[in-house]
Amino acid sequence: MSVIMSEEIEEIPLAASETSYSDTERNDIFNREFMPHINSMYNFAFRLTMDEDDANDLVQDTYLKAFRFISSFERGTNAKAWLFRILKNSFINDYRKRSKEPSKVDYQEVETTYNSEEAAEVDHTTDLRVETVQDMIGDEVATALNSLPVDFRTVIILCDIEGFTYEEMAKILDIPIGTVRSRLHRARNLLKDKLRTYAASMGYDTDED
Amino acid sequence: MQSSPSATENTKYQKEYCEHHAECLKKIQAVLDGGATEDEKDHFRQNMDHCLHCIKMYHLEKCVKESLQSKIDKRLCPDNLVATIKAKLNI
Repeated sequence: MSVIMSEEIEEIPLAASETSYSDTERNDIFNREFMPHINSMYNFAFRLTMDEDDANDLVQDTYLKAFRFISSFERGTNAKAWLFRILKNSFINDYRKRSKEPSKVDYQEVETTYNSEEAAEVDHTTDLRVETVQDMIGDEVATALNSLPVDFRTVIILCDIEGFTYEEMAKILDIPIGTVRSRLHRARNLLKDKLRTYAASMGYDTDED
Repeated sequence: MQSSPSATENTKYQKEYCEHHAECLKKIQAVLDGGATEDEKDHFRQNMDHCLHCIKMYHLEKCVKESLQSKIDKRLCPDNLVATIKAKLNI
């Protein structure tokens, strides 16, 4: 797969109209609407970069950009989704380029590859047991998640860890809802493959009754 | 959320294997995510009454989703990062 994202994407979501806030209002929005999400933002950044220093830089950059472009944020709307979108775009533009992660692929290529007719649907039910997954500890589940290409890791984090709706994810990722759903489906199949392989290597019982 | 079907009561189910498992799996995931359409919810309810394969898929998807939610540590933002951001913005 080729790898390069040739063009930088727009980092700040464009508002229908910009709002001119006073200094007091800007500070108030920042403290009351942005800062409550900083733990979720940091967790997302860490799961994307898998590095504490990079997560620190990414969160800091995101919050500085959010404050700088606060006029693009409409007070009372979904601040968490707005911030997550800036963070995700900053990650793509600034961090992913210099990441050593081998699985850097552009979004379109991911969809094309994993939605192709050649990517046969595998029945994942028959070789991964509920009990096996229940027996796994958090580090084992996290290792499987971390081994996914970042595009797939991202949708699982947003949906299953952060609890965003399909509609919110579509806005954060700037893709149609149908693409969100298909990407999630592929991501989960890959994750189950990883869990099954890991379980087998660790001697968990992966056979059906 | 729909009632959770029991895979152990398999004697009342007619289908051991689902030939549409790929499509059914997408609907099951949408139901668990809270993003299913009314048609998908109807399809889910009907299948849960007679398809053992779909019931097994449902339980596995639910388990994986719950494991992601509950077992993976949530990393908390370091206090010094919050202080740094506020200092840089002078707020």
